[in-house]
Amino acid sequence: MSAPSPAPLLEARAITVRFGGLEAVGNLDMAIARNAIHGLIGPNGAGKTTVLNVLTGFISPTEGQLVFDGAEIGGLGVNGFARRGLARTFQNIRLFGAMTVLESVLVGAHQRFSANALSLVFARRSARAAERAMIARAYELLEFVGLGADVADRVATTLSYGHQRRVEIARALISSPKLLLLDEPLAGMNAVEKAEIADLVRQVRAQGIAVLLIEHDMQVVRRLCDHLTVLEYGRKLADGPPEQVLADPAVQAAYLGRAR
Amino acid sequence: MDYLGQLLANGLVLGAIYALAAVAFTLVYGVVRLVNFAFGELFMLGAFLTASLMLPEVRLIGMVVPMPGFSLPVAAAGAILLTGALGVLVDRIAYRPLRNAPRLAPLITSIAVSVVLQSLAQTVWGAEELRFPEFHLATLPPVVLFDSIYLSVMDLVVMATALAAMLGLSAFIARSSLGRAMRASAEDQMAATLVGIPVNRVVAAAFAIGSGFAALAGLLYAQTYGFAHSSMGFLPGLKALTAAVLGGIGSIPGAALGGLILGLVEALGSGYLPNGTAWKDAISFVLLVGLLYLRPQGLLGKPELNSAGRGSLLGGASEFGAGWLRAAFAKVDGGLARAAAAGPRAALALLAVAILVGLLVPSDYWLRILTMVVIYGMLASGLNVIVGFAGLLDLGFVAFWAVGSYLTSILFVLVLKDQFGVAPADIWWLLYLNLPLAGLLAAGFAVILGTPTLRLRGDYLAIMTLGFGEIVRVVAINWMDLTNGPMGIRGIPAPNLFGIALGSPRAQFFFALALAVLVVFAIARLVRSYVGRAWVAIREDEEAAEAMGVPTARYKLYAYAASGFVGGFVGVFYAHTQQYISPLNFSLFENILLLMLVVLGGLGTFIGPFIGALIWIVFLQLALDLPFVQAYPETRFALLGIVLIVLMVFRPQGLAASARVALTMPGTRPAKAKEAA
Repeated sequence: MSAPSPAPLLEARAITVRFGGLEAVGNLDMAIARNAIHGLIGPNGAGKTTVLNVLTGFISPTEGQLVFDGAEIGGLGVNGFARRGLARTFQNIRLFGAMTVLESVLVGAHQRFSANALSLVFARRSARAAERAMIARAYELLEFVGLGADVADRVATTLSYGHQRRVEIARALISSPKLLLLDEPLAGMNAVEKAEIADLVRQVRAQGIAVLLIEHDMQVVRRLCDHLTVLEYGRKLADGPPEQVLADPAVQAAYLGRAR
Repeated sequence: MDYLGQLLANGLVLGAIYALAAVAFTLVYGVVRLVNFAFGELFMLGAFLTASLMLPEVRLIGMVVPMPGFSLPVAAAGAILLTGALGVLVDRIAYRPLRNAPRLAPLITSIAVSVVLQSLAQTVWGAEELRFPEFHLATLPPVVLFDSIYLSVMDLVVMATALAAMLGLSAFIARSSLGRAMRASAEDQMAATLVGIPVNRVVAAAFAIGSGFAALAGLLYAQTYGFAHSSMGFLPGLKALTAAVLGGIGSIPGAALGGLILGLVEALGSGYLPNGTAWKDAISFVLLVGLLYLRPQGLLGKPELNSAGRGSLLGGASEFGAGWLRAAFAKVDGGLARAAAAGPRAALALLAVAILVGLLVPSDYWLRILTMVVIYGMLASGLNVIVGFAGLLDLGFVAFWAVGSYLTSILFVLVLKDQFGVAPADIWWLLYLNLPLAGLLAAGFAVILGTPTLRLRGDYLAIMTLGFGEIVRVVAINWMDLTNGPMGIRGIPAPNLFGIALGSPRAQFFFALALAVLVVFAIARLVRSYVGRAWVAIREDEEAAEAMGVPTARYKLYAYAASGFVGGFVGVFYAHTQQYISPLNFSLFENILLLMLVVLGGLGTFIGPFIGALIWIVFLQLALDLPFVQAYPETRFALLGIVLIVLMVFRPQGLAASARVALTMPGTRPAKAKEAA
């Protein structure tokens, strides 16, 4: 699975994040290849979510540089990151309460709309066409993530946990991102659901969208990812193909304890 | 130098009272994270109770009641105890049930409590001032410092009392076990509960002490100025809030410092600025707004208090059983849900009903009232855009309404009629130009006001917008050349179409109805699009909205602009139908009333604002037939406040909640999906 393209999709260079005196992430270099399923793993508290927050603009790194798709993207603000093609889900699902599934997914398509206030008030044909196209796309995506059209009008937060996760993924995908970042998408799921989501991740990649995921289940990680970055105490412990990384004694020690 | 010295001395006395009030404010805020808007009313009650207890007899609800005629210290102690007990009662009834509710709910109940207490005080003590009895220390000759600075003995007593009270409270918080429990609850209520602190009792104690302090500050204030009045708590309440925010809300030394600074700034400002006393209140609000903009956490506060919890505005269903209420609403809900599903047909049916009513109601009197319903419904709809859809509590909305009303009145009366002698009937068309013009002007104004608030959330946002609204009102009162000041503007012409005066109540009702159709139509088209979805997403979870590519700052400004446009637009018509406007029309109370109407009807629905306006304004009139209400018209406002508190506890989503608004454009769903759904 060695990618011929030398330029990665997302490159984090010497990222350091400090909260007060605490160094959450230290001097991290990381590259996510185009068309990769890249796993970010590490023990609890290793700084995985912090890294994901840096990569999506939620946290400005104290030091370091982010290059996405050939351009520096530091300081763009969260919505700027999203507009450049980074879409994410949240560890603790964050759907919009009081919105239906369809409406929630459409929020993800926000940047694809451009009608001005007058076009909206007069419901000009162009505004209606854009809305119609995005709604059709939302239905496609609901089907793609394994939800039927019948959930579209349900209030999103009343769905089951697993279905809410799928809605979140659909909401992220409708922006047609270049990179999808998933924060523990398999948490709290049974084996069947895990297999389904893993399959979904592969299909996403098959559409040319790179995926970064944080995950604890090593079985899934080994089978799903083609590149792993291991964090411990905010520093990079290992980086490479899964077989090689998971065989690394340092990584095994980090997971199994320090008794070497 | 003498002048400066005297101003400083006056500032210190005022500052001591503000500091005391701010400390009380901050104590409650620190423990329960609630901006208690009812604070000014507790302040006022402290003054009334003390004065009443000092007098031999008082007229209460029109009856002469014998009173003990205590001396000031005894009466003050009694008033502080009573107000403290009332504070605990208010917490128990109106705030404790909402401890886990989203932040907007307790904020709204506290506004409602404030309305209830003020209306009840006016019912009990009457609308006139109650002279504060003189205390024998007050008759002593003043103390003269440096040969030229005069301080009355009572001024010294006020300062000494305030200082002693604040030091005592600090020692209590720092040393006593209850004080420690308060600090622990302030840090983390959940953790405090887990280690065995009876948090509810601690909160009750904080309310008791905070309310007692408010009463103390109120009675000192009334003693200094020599009177008590039912609305006397309003400005000092805002000043206490300002001082608390200035010092960093939640910080007791900060509040004391903030109070002193505010007192000194006001005294020096009114002494040195041209026409300073008139602008005194504006000075403190400018200070507040500037501070919130530059340093929202205040001088000594912590920045995290600026964050609002995620989640819906008021929460969906109530956490309280209230089966009877649910049963009572089941039919209404079913009907509204069906109507909402029917979409445009239901709206047209409603419009047809309104037209029929307009044609058939015979009485001019009722037509005028229905016109007011439509006007308030439109204004509430404008406020609903920002509060209901975007989830930003705006207490400065009246300013936009005022901009529209003043623009058209100034152009028609002060400029064209008075300066150029143009008869309004000759330029009837200007009204139709003014409608969109005032809308745009108010929208621009809204963006200017909205920009500095973008970094603020939750309570701070409410306070800052409130500050803006008050500044606009003070400007309207004092900028005589532009607005005619408190006299207001008279002789604004009734609407006119092609030379036909639309002066009759029936014509004006239909005029209002036509505008309402435009307003609701435009709002609905914006809300049922990606713009409305962005607003609701911001309301529900700002960070997640941002992560979905929504530029939240820009969309908040769009919400301000849309809301401002409606305010300005409706303001033009309001001026022409009232034919007289003055700054009194645009007080904070009007803003609170509009907010209550939206909440009553249902935030984030199209029909809610009109339902709220209809119920309230019709009730306001019908109740006048009751003899008791004729004698005490304020009791109606108390009832509105009580209804709101009950609503917040048992049905926070409002009456018309099930008229949920779809956020997609009508007629854009694929046919196949419709069948599936």
